[in-house]
Amino acid sequence: MDKVTCIVVGAGPSGTACAYALAQKGIETVLLERGRTPGEKNVSSFVLYTSVLKHLIPDFRQDLPVERNVVRMDTIYMGDNDTKALQSYNYRYVDNPIAFTAFRRRYDAWFAQKAIKAGVQLISGMKVTDLIIDAGRVVGVKVGEEELYADVVVGADGYHSIVGEKSGLIHAWSPDRCLLAVKEVLNLPSQVINERFQLTDGIGCEQGINTYNLNELNYFSATLYTNTDSVSLAVFARLDELQRKKIKLHEQLEVLKRHPYIDNLIKDATLREYEAHLLPDGGRVKPKNLYGNGVLLCGEAGGITDTIAGMGIPNCMLSGMMAAKTIEDAISKKDFSKRTMKNYLKYLDTTKLIAMVHESRRASDQFAGKALENESDHMAAAADIYNQYWESSVEYIEKKNYPLWAELFLRLGQYHVPGLLFWPVAVLIKIAGLPAVWVEMVKRKTRSRYYAWKKSLVG
Amino acid sequence: MRGKKALSVDEKMETVKIKIDKQAHITVKADLCKACTDRPCLYICTAENYQWDEKKDALIFNYEGCLECGACRIICSKDAIDWSYPIGGYGVKYRFG
Repeated sequence: MDKVTCIVVGAGPSGTACAYALAQKGIETVLLERGRTPGEKNVSSFVLYTSVLKHLIPDFRQDLPVERNVVRMDTIYMGDNDTKALQSYNYRYVDNPIAFTAFRRRYDAWFAQKAIKAGVQLISGMKVTDLIIDAGRVVGVKVGEEELYADVVVGADGYHSIVGEKSGLIHAWSPDRCLLAVKEVLNLPSQVINERFQLTDGIGCEQGINTYNLNELNYFSATLYTNTDSVSLAVFARLDELQRKKIKLHEQLEVLKRHPYIDNLIKDATLREYEAHLLPDGGRVKPKNLYGNGVLLCGEAGGITDTIAGMGIPNCMLSGMMAAKTIEDAISKKDFSKRTMKNYLKYLDTTKLIAMVHESRRASDQFAGKALENESDHMAAAADIYNQYWESSVEYIEKKNYPLWAELFLRLGQYHVPGLLFWPVAVLIKIAGLPAVWVEMVKRKTRSRYYAWKKSLVG
Repeated sequence: MRGKKALSVDEKMETVKIKIDKQAHITVKADLCKACTDRPCLYICTAENYQWDEKKDALIFNYEGCLECGACRIICSKDAIDWSYPIGGYGVKYRFG
């Protein structure tokens, strides 16, 4: 009978972070991964923020498998026929990078190698099929016929968490607590990317795309970011909404690709890889179900992702580190029951993760519900007003045959009319000795009446 | 990609590397699908692995082309789809991610 102190199931960011932190403290840890190498099952659709990684591996910059250093983060509001963009370029990040684009296949494998160096025992190609439960306490895992025992099992095995389900911490799934994501990695020469996105070698950008009027979905967002010689384009939608409206998300990706804005950026690109992933949408598990007797859930298994802010990997890594702290406590007390495991919540609270996840959940519901319909209407209305002004000013320049009196009036007279109308009245008020306030009042009245009239005249 | 024909899902799936297991990781209870009215699996699957065969009046599915998102498992309201990850070492292998 093999027994170790800790088994971590899943060598993604949260599992590896947990195992790494445990191994640093000299705790015997086995990391199980169902892929042949870590990272080959994983998909991410945002840039990788290094805010948490730098606490675990301070010198990560030496050999991190980076595609581009992200310096520009844009927000795009996209309608069916128009685009408004906020370009946010932070030059500070050129020398002090905070975010990178990277491929998960390389990033996760790199991270796992770091963990192995720290003393973690990685066993890949092993899918945990069941848990061994003794008197209400998780005491190990089953991999097919084989059994492996441990004091504590950490479930970091993603959305369809076997650890969570078999231990009874997760007992239901509901479509309203997850997002479906479809992503394409598109080949595009490095030089072309630099030209189209206005970048230089090694410098990348990420564009968060909010859409309105593009399709029937309330919650539909997209990200576009640059790798060295490819771009990644991902779309997201809530599963409950796709179900309710019977929409194929991968068809919506094609709709987005046909939009002139996206089309200009990814023209002539060829498909390198097609990917899909399901991610928990802010707090799918209640906080009291994040821990049990001899078991902890972290990362996507515990739903610790902030899909609104796009903070997946750092949040998951942080939850893994907090799980490691909890296990340290448990080892020092020699108690692996629920009572000690409850410290996990305390640690999560110190990082504000739970509050963050809660906020993300609230925002997501708002997006998917009525509130976003209003928001979407609002954005569309704002775009309409903008477009109207733009178009009317164009018309004014290009136009057109007004009658002579209107032409003279528009070119010369229009700004003086309120004054001309007003001054005799002001003189009369002065002569009659009426209060000075009246002068101001009449002035305003004349102006507003005049502008209303003019508006109706010009249309 | 205006002017050029968009790739179909089948063509897109050619870019994905998958090591196929002999044993299926998806099983479907066929009788429940017949009674199902909305059949969300037909449009939720990102690889379009589920198709409805009108002639046989049955759900046909293809576990080999699974991207392992597991959306079908969540969306099936009848609990007719029994989906789990393929056994260790098999299934999809993303080269980039």
